[in-house]
Amino acid sequence: MNFALTSFKKDLVRWRQDVMSTLIWISIPLMIGGLITLMMGSDVKPHGVLLMVDQDESFFSELVAGAYSAGELGELISVEKTTLKEGIERVNDGEASGLLVIPEGFGDAFLESEPVTLTLKTNPAQTILPGIITNVTEILLDAGFYAHQLFGDEIDAIQKLGDNPADAVVAAMAVTIQNKVESVAPHLFPPILEIEIVEPPPTEPSPPLALLFLPGIILMAVMFSSNGVASDWWREREQGTLRRLVYAPGQLGAFIAGKALAAAVIIGLVGGLTLVIGFLYHGISWTKLPSSLLWISISGVALFSWFAALQMLFSNQKTASVISSMLLFPLLMAGGSFFPLAVLPGWIAAIGRASPNGFVAHRLTSEITAAGAWSIDLSDWLIVIAGAVIGLSICAWRLRSGFARA
Amino acid sequence: MLKVEELSKNYGDFVAVDKISFHAQKGTVFGLLGPNGAGKSTTINCISGLMQPTSGHASVAGHDVVSDGKAARRDLGVVPQELALYEDLPAIENLRYWGKAYGLRGAALEARVSEVLETIGLGDRAKDLPKEFSGGMKRRLNFGCGIVHKPKVILLDEPSVGVDPQSRARLFDMVEAERDAGACILYTTHYMEEAERLCNSLAIIDHGKLIAQGTVDELRSKLGARDVLQLSGSFPVDATKHAIDDLIERGDQDLEIISQEESSVTLTLSQASQHLPAIFAAVSGAGGKVTETSLRSPNLETLFLLLTGTELRE
Repeated sequence: MNFALTSFKKDLVRWRQDVMSTLIWISIPLMIGGLITLMMGSDVKPHGVLLMVDQDESFFSELVAGAYSAGELGELISVEKTTLKEGIERVNDGEASGLLVIPEGFGDAFLESEPVTLTLKTNPAQTILPGIITNVTEILLDAGFYAHQLFGDEIDAIQKLGDNPADAVVAAMAVTIQNKVESVAPHLFPPILEIEIVEPPPTEPSPPLALLFLPGIILMAVMFSSNGVASDWWREREQGTLRRLVYAPGQLGAFIAGKALAAAVIIGLVGGLTLVIGFLYHGISWTKLPSSLLWISISGVALFSWFAALQMLFSNQKTASVISSMLLFPLLMAGGSFFPLAVLPGWIAAIGRASPNGFVAHRLTSEITAAGAWSIDLSDWLIVIAGAVIGLSICAWRLRSGFARA
Repeated sequence: MLKVEELSKNYGDFVAVDKISFHAQKGTVFGLLGPNGAGKSTTINCISGLMQPTSGHASVAGHDVVSDGKAARRDLGVVPQELALYEDLPAIENLRYWGKAYGLRGAALEARVSEVLETIGLGDRAKDLPKEFSGGMKRRLNFGCGIVHKPKVILLDEPSVGVDPQSRARLFDMVEAERDAGACILYTTHYMEEAERLCNSLAIIDHGKLIAQGTVDELRSKLGARDVLQLSGSFPVDATKHAIDDLIERGDQDLEIISQEESSVTLTLSQASQHLPAIFAAVSGAGGKVTETSLRSPNLETLFLLLTGTELRE
């Protein structure tokens, strides 16, 4: 036990010399995570400009212009009045989503129920906003048609009244219009159709996508650091210290225990730092930090031991490093470090959860999104502990079977 | 203190070490001499527990290295041919670490580490990293790590390879200091002058076999007072052999052929310098042409030449 602690301290002292590797293990996942979170967590809505050439400048043309900037539509579309020449140039230059031309005589044509043509030119480089503008224009035209059908007589009468109608006539007209509105109101407000709204059973709110990314990002840091720490077996072999260890009486077990302990601390620190940053950003309850940290540290030792066992199977350091790195990135991809498992199709997610890091990330997701801490099953803890023990046993076998002696 | 009996190590059909036996006593340096690939390192690896011998036995301070390996290793210190250091751990921490690996703790450890630092001359660089050291300093620290637990038996596997003359002299001093302190030292080398300076007794090994063993004086006496004369050039094999045989038959010279090839002839004889004109005349008469002549007085190197017919290969 004493020598295990000595070996543990020795590895921590040596690790302090290699600050650059640690920075890389932390900074790459944080950089990727930061970019993804920025993309997923941004609240920017699309916004377009509708250029309007009002050649009529009547009450009705103003109504049309106002319709585009009313209510929630106004958050999507800004209406700017312009000239025909400038409007065409700006749409052609892609500076606006559309150009609506209201011709002279539009108001009169509406009142007299005569045909009139509105010209709408949309920006072909855009899809969503020009589509919205086209749909709104069609709805406005339909609304104008139905208003004319409903109040056609009243509109004709108003036209014939001249500029100074008598108050009594205006009042009578208002009453007539009010009566018509009241007669259609039961059909319109609310609609005569009865709609039964069937609400789906209540479900727990889905966590934000950026939060679902967090375990994958943390596992990326854990994978980088466990693979990096695992390569220390080869470094020790190249330095000849493993060979010298074999000369010493019966210290191999303690040496391996010390190395595993150092790996747990190093991986725990690297993973823990990304964990703390994630907890701060997403406002996750701090009560879940100890369980999450312990989970990634123990899982990190298991991953470290398997990376080490794999690297120790090869005959030279270069091959071991290349094969280990080649395995690392597909595992990161499968295990949800680039796409959260929760948003992948079911069968792909199932494969991802079966990968070692996917297994760990999936349980970590459960832990940080659960109502309380320590939600990971005991069986899962036992699986990672068994994984670590088996991996370290393979390392011990390789050390005894010639790896240390070369 | 160190006993090796009928030790063999095979790799398939290849016999790296073939039934070698020797004993080394406390407070002495036993040299194992031989060219590269002779089997010296394999012998050391079998004694140190790095390899299992195919047959035979080795014991350290009375403990068999196979059946009682843990106890044997406790009394054994190994200074390997290649450096075995943590380059990213300060020199003093290297010594402490390997001291603890052998069970040293507390004040005893600290006292021994200080003592070793002084012995290896790195007291003022104790807190520096070995990666900042010169090759000679690393060699000294490598030596220190092997002796920090005060072993009864020390295996030194070609410790002077790649060491500058100054560090080599320091290394010899360190070896002599450990010997004087009572350690039994097995020293392998292919430099005969090192063996002559350091070793109380030695064994010569070639192609895995021990070909001679004894004290330096005993081995020298095997050679007698005969010089070794080596002629290089071009020599018709049969004609040259006949010419030298004629000289031998005349009986006026104590002459013997050690080896003969088309490009070289190696002879041994007493007071060779007096007989050079006659030998040159015989060789020239046989159609040979001498381009280089080497005359060596008797030493371990010439003994190796006598025993094996070949030079020590580097």
